[in-house]
Amino acid sequence: MTSLWVESSDVLPLVDVEVAFPVGSLLDPVGREGLAQMAGHLARRGPTGISQARFEDQLAALGARVSVEVTMRSTRIRATVLRRNLEPLLPLLERLIWRPALRAGDFATLKRQAEGTLRSRLDDDQTLGALRFRKALFGDHPYSRTLGGTAASLKRIDLERARRFYRRHVAGGPFIVGLAGDVTHEDAESLVQRYFPSPGASRPVTSDVKPTRTRRGRHVIIVDKPERTQTQLFIGTLGARTRDPKLFPLIVSNTAFGGTFSGPLMQQVRGVRGWSYGAYSRLLHSAQRDAWYMWTAPSSEYSAACAALQIELMERWVDRGIKKTELTFAQRYLINGHCFDRDTPSKRLESNLDVELLGIPRRYVDKYDALVSGVTQADAVDATRARIRPRDLTIVVVATAAEVASSFEALPGVSSLEIVPFDRR
Amino acid sequence: MVAPELWVERLNRGVAKRNARWTFVREQAFGDALTLRRFRLGNGLTVLTLIDRAAPTVSYHTWFRVGSRHETAGKTGLAHLFEHLMFNETRKHKHGDFDRLMERAGAEANAATWTDWTYYYENAPRDALPLLIELEADRMANLVLRAPQVSSEKEVVANERKLRVEDDVEGKALEMLYANAFKRHPYRWPTIGWMKDIRGFTVRDCQQFYRTHYSAANATVVIAGDFDERKALRLVQKQYGTLPKTNPPVSVALPKEPAQRAERVLRLEAPTPTEKLLLGYQAPEFSHPDTPALVLASEVLFGGRSSRLHRLFCLEREVALSVRGSISPFVDPGLFEIWIFVSHGRRRQDALALLDSELERLGSDGPTSVELEKAAAQLELSFLHSMETAGGKAEQIGFYETVAHDGAAVFDRLAGYRAVTATDVQRVVRKYLRPSRRTRVEILPSA
Repeated sequence: MTSLWVESSDVLPLVDVEVAFPVGSLLDPVGREGLAQMAGHLARRGPTGISQARFEDQLAALGARVSVEVTMRSTRIRATVLRRNLEPLLPLLERLIWRPALRAGDFATLKRQAEGTLRSRLDDDQTLGALRFRKALFGDHPYSRTLGGTAASLKRIDLERARRFYRRHVAGGPFIVGLAGDVTHEDAESLVQRYFPSPGASRPVTSDVKPTRTRRGRHVIIVDKPERTQTQLFIGTLGARTRDPKLFPLIVSNTAFGGTFSGPLMQQVRGVRGWSYGAYSRLLHSAQRDAWYMWTAPSSEYSAACAALQIELMERWVDRGIKKTELTFAQRYLINGHCFDRDTPSKRLESNLDVELLGIPRRYVDKYDALVSGVTQADAVDATRARIRPRDLTIVVVATAAEVASSFEALPGVSSLEIVPFDRR
Repeated sequence: MVAPELWVERLNRGVAKRNARWTFVREQAFGDALTLRRFRLGNGLTVLTLIDRAAPTVSYHTWFRVGSRHETAGKTGLAHLFEHLMFNETRKHKHGDFDRLMERAGAEANAATWTDWTYYYENAPRDALPLLIELEADRMANLVLRAPQVSSEKEVVANERKLRVEDDVEGKALEMLYANAFKRHPYRWPTIGWMKDIRGFTVRDCQQFYRTHYSAANATVVIAGDFDERKALRLVQKQYGTLPKTNPPVSVALPKEPAQRAERVLRLEAPTPTEKLLLGYQAPEFSHPDTPALVLASEVLFGGRSSRLHRLFCLEREVALSVRGSISPFVDPGLFEIWIFVSHGRRRQDALALLDSELERLGSDGPTSVELEKAAAQLELSFLHSMETAGGKAEQIGFYETVAHDGAAVFDRLAGYRAVTATDVQRVVRKYLRPSRRTRVEILPSA
């Protein structure tokens, strides 16, 4: 029997269906980044035996939407449908997932669209900064890759490779099914058995990757874009692994520093100086150490001053740690607000599927409150000092280089400065 | 079950002040399972309640009938700046308390301002409701406005403007569109305000704005989620009942837009990789009887992968990477907006010609019955999604109450979509989506 998760709620006549596969962009071959996403999106164009247009008409008439999301470690095919049409949707979904057409014509269109999407990204300064930050932070590690690939890598992906990838890793492999909303466990089980196949024979390919490594020193990368009055600023370093014993202390500590509106990062940058509409710090975690970073969007004229302030605040946070009152505040914030991570059936389903797919320990979901409340001030201070290294920082700023380069070069401890055109592909 | 009239009477026992006495106005079905109740305090505050025990959360919305339409030339952006200032100190709470208390309770607090309204909301664990009521009532009457906070918040808003407009090609184009599509109506200026105006605000401007627009009689509170209705109303009575009864601001008749008789064309050069087209057709107000048919037309043309224009523009002809359309949900007549993100190497003129011919086709032949069925099903799906959380329900209620004067009208709107015929769609497309009624912004990559 397929692994099945059900979150029932009859509040709305709506059902979400998710079929999730433990394969993602980490399986993209070097030089062919974007393959997993391309394969997933190609399958989304429709099953065999029916035109794409007719397939889309059928979905729309059912009051259904289907999307494919590829992440580093998963491919998730999600459908949402009016309850009365759940049963007619499932055979359509089965055909889409396990009997996709993977047509040559669709592939050609999709490839042009993927290239177009990469081009349109040049309009989005925040995304430009975020992608460049990961590239600079992780270097040649697979975590630096983008899901959609690059113009060069897309060129190297051909139809046969996309078909092979999908058939081998997705349609032929193990999967998990989740249903959330107006459906009982009993009905869900019976429907899944009726319409979905048994898991394929292919064994899952491991997505294990080597550990990420800290780049020593402070490195500034300016993504040079003309006519910028304002900048996108990312400052960060390596953070934590999902299974890091210091993860929860670090989550609490980071929340106290830059995870709320009341924290010192937001207060000093926005509250006191009005320098940026937003100011926050984020701690990401994956199988290997992922990123910890701060984000702000200050005007060009004080962007470097804002960066200096952020670094100073960060150094103080790592050096002095957080106060007892800050610890308690962060714990209350996390625990009290946790109800919003599970206030809909689809959110509850997602967290269960994350456990299954991403290797997140079950207790992170089931014992969340205890894990947060169990963090002591000493734990938080110790975890912050052990994982966050202010000496080793990647600083990415999207700006008009001529206006900011000299002031960023003068930031304390900067060991290199590189200027990259915003439209370098 | 005790009727609301009876327990409201009990809440009023011993309450001498007229401003603090409740009136139960009515209850209405909210879908199949829920009930929306309407109450009014003596000082004019309207409170709408919706009990929904799907999750242990509560959503608290305060909608004020004030937006950028209530500003004057030279003072644009004041409604939005003021929204920021509402998170500052009050006579009871020092600067920073509001966010700190909310966050400690696990509440997400934020706000939004647009042309016709400003709203403040908190999504919180259910136990936090007394705190939400206390803090919201407090800032409705006791806000303290000082120069340092006004100055710092002006800088934040200036940065927000750079983020959303000056350095954002879509934001800049939208600003150009509205500035040129409207000649008299205040919809012509941006809600965030012109930079010069933002820089020029004084503490006195803000105080005056607060006195004029922030009062119980100019607000609607919506409480949705898992809470005890009687206890909540008792707390509201206690916290808001001391607020004075004032007349809502006198509504000034806004100038009517002159009929547009010819297309207006503008150009924007920006560091963007591809050409784009932004079109705005003069469209009716949200409550106009033609609006549901225009929404259906929009769904037929732009609603997802099976829509006419997605199929034609993005898959068959590949003249655009994406297309989208929407209607501005305003109290007064607004715009039907269309975005065309032209494919690299393709010409915007070809995309425009294709659009015109498709609009003409829809106007002359109308949609098929299958298209209408698809559109209605997709709108129903979107509607249900918007209702998933207590916050989603509160937002819909607050919006419909403020713009359509009936918080429960959201369900009527859904029924209205089902009643739209092919002939209705044909008629509104011919009436509204004509080139002579539109303003066109052509976005071109700068050299």
